[in-house]
Amino acid sequence: MIDVVAASKIASPEIDWAGLSPLIAVFAGALIVLMLGLMRSRAIREIAVPSLSIASLAVAGGLAVWQWGERSDLLAGALRLDELTLLLTLLFCVAGIATVVLSWRHVAPREAAHGEYHALLLTSIAGMIVLVAAQNLVSVFLGFELLSIPLYVLCATEMRRASSLESGLKYLVVGSVGSATLLYGLAFLYGATGATDFAAIAGALAASADLASDPLLLTGIALSIVGLGFKASVAPFHQWTPDVYEGAPTPITAFMAVATKAAAFGIILRLFDVALIDVSLDWGPPLAALAALTIVVGNVGALGQSSLKRLLAYSSVAQAGYMLAGVVVASRLGLQATLFYLVVYLVMNLAAFAVIVARERETPLGDDIASLNGLGASRPLLAWPMTIAMLALAGFPATAGFIGKFYLIDAAVDGNYAWLGVFIVVGSMISLAYYLKVIAAIWMRPAEESSTSAVALPPPSAEPVLSGGSDEATGMSAQGEVVGVAVLFGALTIVLGVVPSPLFNLVRDAGEALGLL
Amino acid sequence: MTSVELFAWLTLGFPLAGTLAVALGGRRLPGRGPAYLATGAMALSFASAVATLVALQGLGEEHRQVRAVAWDYANTVGVDAQLSLLVDPLSVFMILVVAGVSTLIHLYSIAYLDSDRGYARFFAYLNFFVFSMLLLVLAGNFVVLIVGWAFVGAASYMLISFWYRRTTATNAGIKAFIINVLGDVGLVLGTYFIFRHTGSLDFLQTFDGIGEDFATNDPDLVAGCILLLVGAFAKSAQVPLHTWLPDAMEGPTPVSALIHAATMVTAGVYLIARMHPLFELAPTAADVGAVIGCLTLLIAGTIAIAVTDLKRVIAYSTMSQIGYMIMAVSAGAYAAGLFHLMTHAFFKALLFMAAGSIIAAMAGQQSLDKMGGFRRSMPFTYGCMVIGGLALAGIPPFSGFFSKDEILLLIGDRGGWYWGLYVAGYAGAFLTGVYTFRMIFRAFWGDPVPEALELEQGHIHHPETHTNPATGEVEDTDVGFPGPEHHIAERETSMKLAMGTLALLAIVGGLLQIPKVTHVIDHFLEPSFHESALFEREPSGGLIGFGLILGTVVGLAGIALAYFVWVKNPGMSERIRERSRGVHTFLVNKWYFDELIDLLVVRPAQWLGSFAQQTFERIFVNGLLVGGATGVVRAGSSAVRAAQTGFLRYYAALLVAGMIGVIFYFLLVV
Amino acid sequence: MTLHLSIMLWIPLAFGLAGLLLPARLAPKLALAGTLLVLGYAITYVVGFQSSQGALQYVTDETWIAELGISYALGLDGLNLFLVLLTAILWFSCTLWATFWTPEHAADNPRLFYFHLALAQTSVLGALLAQDLALFVVFFDLMLVPFFFLTGIWGGARRVHATMKLVIYTLVGSLLMLTAAVATGVLAAEGTDPVSFAFADLAQRSLSSSTQNWLFLAFAAAFLVKMPAFPFHGWMPDGYKAMPLPVLALFSGVLSKVAAYGFLRICLPFFPDASAHFQTLMLLIALASILYGSVMAFTTTQVRLILGYSSIAQLGFIVLGIFALNAQGAQGAILQSFNHGLVVAPAFFIVALLSARAGGSEDLRDMGGIATRAPVLTTLFLIVTFATLAMPGSSNFVGEFLILLGVFETKMAIAIIASSGVVLAATYALRLFIRSVHNRTGPRVEAREMERRDGLVLVPLVLAILAIALYPQFALQRSEQTVTSLTTPPPATQGEAAVAPEFQIERAP
Repeated sequence: MIDVVAASKIASPEIDWAGLSPLIAVFAGALIVLMLGLMRSRAIREIAVPSLSIASLAVAGGLAVWQWGERSDLLAGALRLDELTLLLTLLFCVAGIATVVLSWRHVAPREAAHGEYHALLLTSIAGMIVLVAAQNLVSVFLGFELLSIPLYVLCATEMRRASSLESGLKYLVVGSVGSATLLYGLAFLYGATGATDFAAIAGALAASADLASDPLLLTGIALSIVGLGFKASVAPFHQWTPDVYEGAPTPITAFMAVATKAAAFGIILRLFDVALIDVSLDWGPPLAALAALTIVVGNVGALGQSSLKRLLAYSSVAQAGYMLAGVVVASRLGLQATLFYLVVYLVMNLAAFAVIVARERETPLGDDIASLNGLGASRPLLAWPMTIAMLALAGFPATAGFIGKFYLIDAAVDGNYAWLGVFIVVGSMISLAYYLKVIAAIWMRPAEESSTSAVALPPPSAEPVLSGGSDEATGMSAQGEVVGVAVLFGALTIVLGVVPSPLFNLVRDAGEALGLL
Repeated sequence: MTSVELFAWLTLGFPLAGTLAVALGGRRLPGRGPAYLATGAMALSFASAVATLVALQGLGEEHRQVRAVAWDYANTVGVDAQLSLLVDPLSVFMILVVAGVSTLIHLYSIAYLDSDRGYARFFAYLNFFVFSMLLLVLAGNFVVLIVGWAFVGAASYMLISFWYRRTTATNAGIKAFIINVLGDVGLVLGTYFIFRHTGSLDFLQTFDGIGEDFATNDPDLVAGCILLLVGAFAKSAQVPLHTWLPDAMEGPTPVSALIHAATMVTAGVYLIARMHPLFELAPTAADVGAVIGCLTLLIAGTIAIAVTDLKRVIAYSTMSQIGYMIMAVSAGAYAAGLFHLMTHAFFKALLFMAAGSIIAAMAGQQSLDKMGGFRRSMPFTYGCMVIGGLALAGIPPFSGFFSKDEILLLIGDRGGWYWGLYVAGYAGAFLTGVYTFRMIFRAFWGDPVPEALELEQGHIHHPETHTNPATGEVEDTDVGFPGPEHHIAERETSMKLAMGTLALLAIVGGLLQIPKVTHVIDHFLEPSFHESALFEREPSGGLIGFGLILGTVVGLAGIALAYFVWVKNPGMSERIRERSRGVHTFLVNKWYFDELIDLLVVRPAQWLGSFAQQTFERIFVNGLLVGGATGVVRAGSSAVRAAQTGFLRYYAALLVAGMIGVIFYFLLVV
Repeated sequence: MTLHLSIMLWIPLAFGLAGLLLPARLAPKLALAGTLLVLGYAITYVVGFQSSQGALQYVTDETWIAELGISYALGLDGLNLFLVLLTAILWFSCTLWATFWTPEHAADNPRLFYFHLALAQTSVLGALLAQDLALFVVFFDLMLVPFFFLTGIWGGARRVHATMKLVIYTLVGSLLMLTAAVATGVLAAEGTDPVSFAFADLAQRSLSSSTQNWLFLAFAAAFLVKMPAFPFHGWMPDGYKAMPLPVLALFSGVLSKVAAYGFLRICLPFFPDASAHFQTLMLLIALASILYGSVMAFTTTQVRLILGYSSIAQLGFIVLGIFALNAQGAQGAILQSFNHGLVVAPAFFIVALLSARAGGSEDLRDMGGIATRAPVLTTLFLIVTFATLAMPGSSNFVGEFLILLGVFETKMAIAIIASSGVVLAATYALRLFIRSVHNRTGPRVEAREMERRDGLVLVPLVLAILAIALYPQFALQRSEQTVTSLTTPPPATQGEAAVAPEFQIERAP
């Protein structure tokens, strides 16, 4: 005991600053904006704070790109620096930037003070980076909590709206159950293998075959599945998702939808495809069953939802099911497919959420589908991104969503899980019913009287559709940044659907990083 | 291209050109212009038909089967369908009859249809019909034959419902068309059965190798031939596919004369004659043909005695006469059958033209009950009617006498059970005499009806309101209805010309083939039947003499009976009707064939349709297949939403439950 | 001009996008120009096509997504040549039609309308030209998107409900096909050689009979629903009722053929054992479609639905020909696909003219008697009707003749029963004709001749019908080589098909 402590004292780990630089950038950003938030000047709070957060995230992203190709252990093997980490870091930064942009004029930061709001956001992102980089049970839990706790608060930042507070509270309570479960799971894993380090766990499992049927290990795996599945909102641990997504401020919902899910899947991939790869026969089938269940529950639940945020919440559950298929097969193809889909998923959802944010501000209908009625005629710049996003989520060809699904099915069939592939498409069939409902509202339903912007405008046939026009000008000036996000990610959805090769290269590197076959 | 081929193509080409010219430019031509155009085209066509004949006779006996190929039609993957004609004595014989009679009927129509608003359309259709008919008889392979076969059906449909705003006409049209399509299908399937063995659709190739391809009465061949017969029966109105022909009388009278008497309805006869190598290898099928023909000639004869619609009487007589021809060619009396086909074309066309003339005088009225005493007012028509009637009744020396007698003679010569057909044939001849002269007596004798009297005053009757004689519905005289004016032979040279020519032919036509004396037809057709076993037969002199006498006696007896009943003592027919009411109603209702078909075919189909429409589509297709799937999904969705209570404790509980579930899975299953 | 297929493929989309960005009044002209250009290309291809060789011509082959083994391969051969021509012809006519179509659609955003129309043409052409399974799936599913919008935005009553039903129902099949397509590529590779979806590679590789069976069924589901075939036509009545007529003409004229084409292009060559195994099943489905479609067609009075159900019957004949699994059947099926498209489009156009003269009603009971004042329209309609009921002399007859002959040689009984469909066809087609233009003039009918611009759409189509009727060999000779090579597989695969069970047993360990 003592000499262990001594040893640790003597050999203090040398730190690879370069490798840590993205993480550091984010943390620094968090501290700075927290300080700036205390300033009196309204300009600083409303302009400088968001801009600085964006800057720090941009820097972090840039550093991640700079680090690309590096593969090394950080902090005495607590964290792993490789393309998986970097890719997801990049993804978090993009999501973070988008979130900041979407909340630029949003009520949430104003009510909860800009400093805190952005600081919490950045901290959460830092937590995500730690989580996906973690290759040690302890750092896993550290990252897990670091990402969760700020989110609990962020959900409740619209203090004057009861539902926002409710969602924060719910998330907190249920989330702690989830965290506890995960903690137990990790503890059991340690107990079974006697190691916290992923490599060591893998080694232990490879060494003794009978370990594969050790109840201790199995319980550990089961509990970790539950804990992580909770974060990734896998059925039947998904129930918090609709309520929290609906209640939370929409930018935060968007952030949770894309970033949290990515983080959860990042660690799931690393834990199962690195540490537990040798017992993949143990966790494969049950995970597949959960995936199937998730697909069905998510898609079926989304039917008949009138709230867009709830609808997307369920859809995110379903999409989690699709991605789980990539984990189940425990192959490099599966890993790459999952990562690919994570990126695609981010692009599609950000486009959709941006439109929701815009409409929430333009119409009194909030996030009700009716708020989109007649959008095609009145606001093409919002209508097209939403349409594209919905088609992509439904998996129509010529969108990134199609390639992503194709890739996942490819992986599933290749891993002898063809039936899971069938489940994916069955899910997509059901999903058509609600995705198309949204599109129908946009293009085929007349604009509501209440949504003034839609009614006041002249028929768009007077102006070119894509290049805004006078009717756009008002919208632009009001919330150009939101429209910008929508258009950007909408366009990206198509681009990735037609020329996906660059993205394929990124995920291939990440796949090689984990050294799977 | 040899001269034979050239003239054959020209024969075919002129009517087609006429169709296009009249259809595209007809309405710009003034007055009777379209008619002259069409008739001119027909005259040219007939001329080239004659030229074809001359050119063909110029060739040696053994070279008188000429294939004329235009281009590949569907020549692929083992199917060898070209757009080819077969010019041989048989087809030339047919084109001569068709083109000749058609020209005369065109001539007749120039005046007859004069005031109709659809004048140009009528002649376009008429030319198109002739083109189709010529295509049919000149066809060099099965596909082209079927094409011509269907085209004449289409033309017949278009002309039957020429007055298309009459519901009666359109119904008759669709009925005729569908039964004819049934025939086409029979033809197609028959072709398949034969093609299956011969591997060729070309007539000459099929016939050449037929001996190697099939044994006698090979089941496939019999099936094929019987299916071909279905085609023939549908087209030639043989029992039980005959019900369309009487209704077809809805068409203008020249149409009845041309299509439903002289040419199209005899296509079945031509078909069997053309396919004789097959039928001689499949005697069973041939016998079926003979028996059906015999039945038809009797059934039609009995009905013709009872019906009172002038044109329908002639229509049933047509059925009966074609029964003779079918019987003849099926029994191997090819030349005789075709001979009768020719003479029948003459006198039956003549009869229809005469009937048309009376109907015009009656202002469209066709019922014999309303006619009478036209003898004095319409002498020319009367004369033609009598000549046609005598020829039909088979009284020497009129053409019908020789041709009908030749048929029965050769059938009797076959011996065995063919004697049955022989007897039936003469029974039919007796009926023919009766109904023919019943018709003539009732229309022309007796005391004149008002229309006749009006005509004697030198004025054709025209009612102030035009009605559909069949239903009494009021009509206008615009397009789609008959025109306001009516035209009778006595006043129209073109009608006189046409009828006069036909009357002449009806008288002398028989001289071509007098037993023991002339054999023009036999010798001419010989090359087409050179390989036939049944063609060259020399009946015994005794039988010939007996037949000639018997035929005369029977025919005269029929006429005598008619005279006795309808002229000598009027009112006798009523008494007979009273005494044998059952028989009469049975005959008036045409042996209930329409009702039978309606019961067996039409009703079930309609019931099936409404069942599919009302029940199946709604319950099975939409209910089970569509509704079922969506129902399941909906149920699931409501279940999921029910689970979404919004209560924390509930979520936590479910989370724990799920967790326990997973743990148990791991501990128990793995 | 260069004959690069990609040019023809992307012209419509390019023009559509241009129309979307330029002022609205240009949109129709641009769309028209695009379709005309495509038509020009298509005709050049047909004329320049070498009938003597069965292999692909005008081939384009680039890798698209190397990681997934998906290539951007296009090509023309006997199977798709005339369907491409059909697509070009119909799109031109229907776009022309749309330019002077109903007034109300002119009101809302024509640019969007023509954009979707163009997108639809590109995706249809893509599906026809694709020589890569994944690419085919991409275009096949993409086809539906524009029609979803066209129906939902410019459609008739209950259009939203109808378009939802249409898209979901037909995609149910297509998505199954997606999985099946992926599985085909992956399993055919057998793990050893790199996964490829290119038809050329798939043709070299073989699948075990058991695998073939479920893959075949998945593809069949997609195609049968799209056609539609009985009993998968649940979406048809609603969809047909709601679709705007020019769009409907395209949908019924072309999209159903793409499905039929899928059988020839994918199922027969890549799943030979399964095709043989399910032959009877498919033939029975086809037979049921023929009879059911015809019976429905002569009982309904909705003119659109008469044509809709008649299409079900016609497609039944086409499937019948395909699954005769011999050259005659396939030849007939290909020819018939072309014919039916060529006939059904003018039929729908005539329906539009008829309902315009019957006070907007599309019910037979409100029609009749217009022939008196509209002789030209009636004549054209008569020609179309005769072609619809496949009267001998029409090219449709040649198609049905070959189809039935093909089936007759494999399954005689089915051919004989199917031939009753010909009689039924005569019944409903003639019933439609007579009750809409003949008989007494209906109460709300105001008979008038068609206008000159209507002639611009109708007359060329009718002339095309007459031309192909006069010389069907023109089409047959171009598809013959491909068909013979398709229907007579090399002995090797035949042998495998014969001894498939033993193969399984050997492979087991």
